[in-house]
Amino acid sequence: MRRSHLLGLGFMTPAILLTLALFIIPVVLTGVFSFTNMSTSTGITGGAYEINPRSIRLMKDAGLREGLIGDLEENLYKIDAAGLAQVEKDFGKKLAEEMKGAYDGQTFKDRRELVRAIKDLKSRPRSSRDLNKAADLFQKSILNVRYDDESAFLNGLGNLGITLQDGEQAELTRFAYTGWVWTTENFSNMAAMPSTYRAAFNTVLYIAFTLTFNIVFGVFLAVATFYLPSAAASTFRTIWFLPRILPHVLYVILWKWFTWDTGFLSQVLEPFGVAPRNWMMDTEINAWVSIVLINGFVGASLGMILFSSAIKAIPSSMLYASEVDGASRLQQVRYIILPQLRWPIMFTSIYQTLSLLTSFDYIYLATDGGPGSSTTVWALYAFKTALNNYGGNLQYGFGAALALVLVGIGILASVLYLRLFDFKSMNAAPRIEQ
Amino acid sequence: MTILSAKLRQSTAAAVLALTATAVSGAALAKDLTITVWSGGTNETESYRIENIAIAADLLEREYALRGEELNIKVEGKYDFAGWAEFKQAVTLAAEAGTAPNIVVSSHLDLAPWSQAGLIVPIEDYVDLDAWPLNDIYENLIDITSYNGQVVGLPQDAESRPFFFWRETYKKIGYTDEQLDELPAKIQSGEYTLKNVFEDAKKAVDMEIVEKGYGFYPRPSNGPDYAQFYQSFGGTLMDKDSGKLVLDKKAMTEFYQFFVDCVNAGLTRKNHLGTDWNQWYNEVATGKAATWHGGTWHYARYTGKEGLSDFFGNIQFSLIPAGNAEGHANTITQPLAYMITKQNDEEAVEVAAQLVKIASEPRLNSYHAIKSSHLGISRQQSNVEFYANDRWAAEATERLLPFANAQPNHLKYGQFSELMYKGLETAWTGTKSAEDAVAEVEVEMKAALGDDLIVR
Repeated sequence: MRRSHLLGLGFMTPAILLTLALFIIPVVLTGVFSFTNMSTSTGITGGAYEINPRSIRLMKDAGLREGLIGDLEENLYKIDAAGLAQVEKDFGKKLAEEMKGAYDGQTFKDRRELVRAIKDLKSRPRSSRDLNKAADLFQKSILNVRYDDESAFLNGLGNLGITLQDGEQAELTRFAYTGWVWTTENFSNMAAMPSTYRAAFNTVLYIAFTLTFNIVFGVFLAVATFYLPSAAASTFRTIWFLPRILPHVLYVILWKWFTWDTGFLSQVLEPFGVAPRNWMMDTEINAWVSIVLINGFVGASLGMILFSSAIKAIPSSMLYASEVDGASRLQQVRYIILPQLRWPIMFTSIYQTLSLLTSFDYIYLATDGGPGSSTTVWALYAFKTALNNYGGNLQYGFGAALALVLVGIGILASVLYLRLFDFKSMNAAPRIEQ
Repeated sequence: MTILSAKLRQSTAAAVLALTATAVSGAALAKDLTITVWSGGTNETESYRIENIAIAADLLEREYALRGEELNIKVEGKYDFAGWAEFKQAVTLAAEAGTAPNIVVSSHLDLAPWSQAGLIVPIEDYVDLDAWPLNDIYENLIDITSYNGQVVGLPQDAESRPFFFWRETYKKIGYTDEQLDELPAKIQSGEYTLKNVFEDAKKAVDMEIVEKGYGFYPRPSNGPDYAQFYQSFGGTLMDKDSGKLVLDKKAMTEFYQFFVDCVNAGLTRKNHLGTDWNQWYNEVATGKAATWHGGTWHYARYTGKEGLSDFFGNIQFSLIPAGNAEGHANTITQPLAYMITKQNDEEAVEVAAQLVKIASEPRLNSYHAIKSSHLGISRQQSNVEFYANDRWAAEATERLLPFANAQPNHLKYGQFSELMYKGLETAWTGTKSAEDAVAEVEVEMKAALGDDLIVR
């Protein structure tokens, strides 16, 4: 390899690393998570093995052998030689002897009862933790015992002396496991839930309206400021650029002040006999108009900058020539400017479709998906499911499955757009060089 | 060269040995521990959730000192989370990353998922439930902080969620003071129901005593409060025998319909959900609303920050009235619980448990109860004068707590309650009819909860 190639690779490295860290790895992880039932209660890093009242109830529902369930359910503490030997090892001979003398062969119905008994002894451990630990050495069941791995669990099961029939060991392990398992249920649940379809429909609405607004308004701003004297044009462009550079929270608060029941809009309209109302949240239509405008003004400002620079690149001789030919302003726009904006419009459409698909920050701050989930777009739905809800039982698996759909749609949309705008011919070498 | 490296090795070994010896002997002399406490749903008025741990640390240090051991505990507290969602997200993700705080104060509803995930450890392994002060805590509260037959956390406080009436407004629509004083008893017996609330609130709006949308002014965000209305209309949250969650379609529909009717009649704003809490507190504490519902701890806010000087002269409170013949007047208590997280340092876990135990002493808990207007957790608090002389604590305890139930500690209750609220929001805002909203909730619950759900 030539050294100059290495230089190229060197320049590319930051981009490759960023793509890897911010796109490839997250997408792969999302893909992996989406085929699991991972949630707050299963944890992310793996589970433990535990037979507890809940798993026993599930085993009963699944119709496991009653005798087996009965054995597992029984929670007994019995003072026996094995336990005493362990006590001697962990807490000293004195305690073991005292326990043997006082309680040998006795059974206790739960740990608390045994701890009370141990507390009557002289050489008892002095801390509650040690008392409980000493009592645990006599437990004759595995109820509520948490085993970190499967072999420890099977060991514990073996020590109980329960004879297992064919296949029961695997069943027990399955019910005892607290961690996540592989599943395709996320996708079937997604297909079964009405809120999925609503989120999908909302997303389509959101992208279609916002994108149209962005492009049309962006082009309008670019063309309008193009025909203005340059000082006035820069002033207007700066004003229209404000939504983009304002912090998101501040920008949305301004909108809220503008639209609230006691806000600017209500106050201005009141003298005209319009009853004050919350112009952002009153009806679904209000919410949608707000969402499209809030996002639209931000998006249009980017379009404005791109389109303005593209218009500036048009050779002025073309425009002069058209004026000599008697073309009106509208005709100039229609036949000269717009055709030359094809590339930036394509870029803006692709870029903004993809960013709108995954963006929910302004919606989250403005309507939080309401009223009544009517502005909950797919990305917000995924965020709330996986990471942010009042109940706090975060559904990482289901949320990842939702996100994976977005990734798929994003890639498909990119391919579609590239074909639609004939990306190849635009990227072809100029004919003059062929 | 070899001599040099051998010498180097020797001196390194000696240095390591010396360092280890110092460290070990140092550990025997003094132990420094930093205990972090994160508290959810906590404002300045509830600061004793953390301060009590700091006081407990001081007491525990003294106990250690008297035993001849030196223990230095540094308590670091944090409660400025944006909301419950952000708090729970922070705790869960920190625990997954292995940086969980030692003590967490959160709803008892989190005990089930967090203990299943192994984020928290049963506190009963580290404390003596038969010894003071834990043997004095009300048994029903201990039940609420238990899961799978183990005492997983300890109740931090008790509360309940009453219905409130603005007395002046009620007098203007024709009630006398005597009738208002009898109202809580009538609600308890089922004589005064949500139907009457609707009629009276409508009168207040129609007579223009309160503004439109202020006849009935509910809590503006998700919370256990809404499960109370489900119970008012005869709904059950969990089937005790099977341990499964219950969707009672009739109760759910009537519960949603009540809120839809309130919106249609102009008693409640259609876009009420999401109202800013500060605005909400101010409005209810200044008599802008005829009726509303909230929590016992609101007393502190109304009489404190909002400046309501005569609570009892202005406000009447009661259970949430029954909605229909199948339901009953009720209130839900959602105690927060102290929970101990799993840590590699077993000693830190034990110390954290001891701190929680000491913070549960009647006097310390009374500081929290009085400052935040929560209810006490143990019997002896009625012998702590400071607590017993507080009129609100005494009356609220007597009128509400005997009838309070808690939401079930169930792995999937969080999802159940989310979906129930989402359905309510859909009906409330007019996006769907109550029946359609319930039909959607049924489909979603079946998919999300699977075998853990019974539909009636």
